[in-house]
Amino acid sequence: MSKQFSGVWATYEFLDDFCGAIRELRDSGFQRLTTLAPCPRHEIDHALGNPQSRVPFFTLAGMFCGFSLAFTLMTFMSLDWILPVSGKPIVSFPIMGPVLFELSVLCAVWFTLISMIGLILNDLRKHGMPGSKQWKSYRRFTRDRFGLIVPCTQHDLDKVEGILNKFSAEEVNREA
Amino acid sequence: MSNVTYASINDDILHSMRPPGKTWFASMAIILTMLGMGIFAFGYQIRHGMEGSGINNPIGWGVYITNFVFWVGIGHAGTLISAVLFLVRAPFRTSIYRASEAMTVFAVMTAALFPLIHIGRVWNFYWLIPYPNQRLLWVNFKSPLLWDVFAVNTYMSVSILFFLVGLVPDFAVVRDESKGLKRLFYGIAALGFRGTNHEWKHYMRAYLLFAAIATPLVFSVHSIVSWDFAMSSIPGWHTTIFPPYFVAGAIFSGCAMVLTLLLPLRAIFPGFKDIIKMKDMEAMAKMIMFTGVIVTYAYSIEFFIAYYSGAKYEKALFWFRPFGELKFFFFLMVFCNCVSPLPLWIKKIRTNVPALFLISILVNIGMWMERFNIVVTSLAHDFDPYAWGSYTFEWVEIWITIGSFGWFSMWFFIFVKIMPSLAVAELKEALVPPMRSAHHE
Repeated sequence: MSKQFSGVWATYEFLDDFCGAIRELRDSGFQRLTTLAPCPRHEIDHALGNPQSRVPFFTLAGMFCGFSLAFTLMTFMSLDWILPVSGKPIVSFPIMGPVLFELSVLCAVWFTLISMIGLILNDLRKHGMPGSKQWKSYRRFTRDRFGLIVPCTQHDLDKVEGILNKFSAEEVNREA
Repeated sequence: MSNVTYASINDDILHSMRPPGKTWFASMAIILTMLGMGIFAFGYQIRHGMEGSGINNPIGWGVYITNFVFWVGIGHAGTLISAVLFLVRAPFRTSIYRASEAMTVFAVMTAALFPLIHIGRVWNFYWLIPYPNQRLLWVNFKSPLLWDVFAVNTYMSVSILFFLVGLVPDFAVVRDESKGLKRLFYGIAALGFRGTNHEWKHYMRAYLLFAAIATPLVFSVHSIVSWDFAMSSIPGWHTTIFPPYFVAGAIFSGCAMVLTLLLPLRAIFPGFKDIIKMKDMEAMAKMIMFTGVIVTYAYSIEFFIAYYSGAKYEKALFWFRPFGELKFFFFLMVFCNCVSPLPLWIKKIRTNVPALFLISILVNIGMWMERFNIVVTSLAHDFDPYAWGSYTFEWVEIWITIGSFGWFSMWFFIFVKIMPSLAVAELKEALVPPMRSAHHE
């Protein structure tokens, strides 16, 4: 993926410059942006148009799976080995409450985790990353700098670079 | 956080992760000695059976179950701080939640050992798990003890996942600030995290869901632990007040343990003082004040219920607790849990580090005593006077208890040196971001 990357990446010191550049790029038709930041910032989300994650659907699915698993497990086991306790029904729904809850929670959490990893990998696969040495050795995005990757054709390189510089980018690097 | 910047947070965290010094090794030597005592005593118990513990007839649950409930309670506050306070956006959470979460994970890891130690024949522990076996029988889903197996294991799994997921962006910070083997190690732990919008988008949503899921779990786990007692018919146990009483007690002891761990941490690493502020510690003290009042109310109402119910067995038990032969443990509990937190109502005391530390230790002692009182006195004094008994501490259970503190502390000391003990990304999120224009967007 990195070998095929064509575009520009830039670094910013200030968040307002960075968000300004994102907005202008999106207004100019560059929608497939990748940003890098030391922490999540709602200003960046707003500039990117508030993208939504699909993780909650998987969490809900996990909860249903856990609930069904617990119900099936307890019903099957209670009927397979009849163990009368204090005259209570052999398959008793109220008594299933704690285990139904716990397994629903457990499966929901695992589904959330696995779906989060899967969705991240899927998104990263779709968005190219620069492959140059300079990119690989740059380590300040987890420290105190904001980064912007703009995939574009050779034809658009000048235009993108112009926008990035207009918002006082600290460094602008072309990769083609 | 006026002096704190994105870069200074990274520097402070990396400073705390430098190779350990003499004090760390000396502390670790003491901790490992404690752990060694526990392992030796456990080995003795496996060789000679339960005679080394004070467990007898009728007191079938003793120090081990007391330790189990105590450590689950300690494990409560971490998830409360990291999940519940995340949902309500409490400002004091950010600086303390990572260490509290680590405390939760290690406390639940410690708690999970005690049912195994208590059952004696530890090699048969897997009988607790529903699995197809040669005798074609299944576990009893109508037993609260089995619910507890599910509750504690779920709580442990969720706490560990919540803790590790929270660490991923911070491992990426350490990776990018390191070289060589250290970079490789933290690179693997960071799972390739770089801080892109694609990662943050799913990560933050998943983290919010983790918090939302963990919140009812915080309340359910200790409620289910309380049902181990409340679902039985023993006087002193069979009461509907137990779930909220146990949850409040767990938060009380957990917050005290957070102070016991964080006050020294703050003193050892000077950079942390700018991040873990006194007002954060004061907020924990306020939680102790609040839950301390609930616990005191629960103690009082238990006596009132015993009197008002007219049940003679309840009355006899609640007479036995303050006036019977185990009264020392009762009054120590009342002093530590009801009296010792009272000075915290004075601002000067709850902003004084030595006073806070001392009170947190007393609360921890008191909450251990509370569990001991619940477990042992009720069994010692049930329905039939002919079957009443008493409890004597034996060296094996004392050593195993000391060993459990060694086990817990060992993990915490290792954690402080190999993992970021403050949440880097979240601390940065709480800062005013670097802006060229004067006004924050």
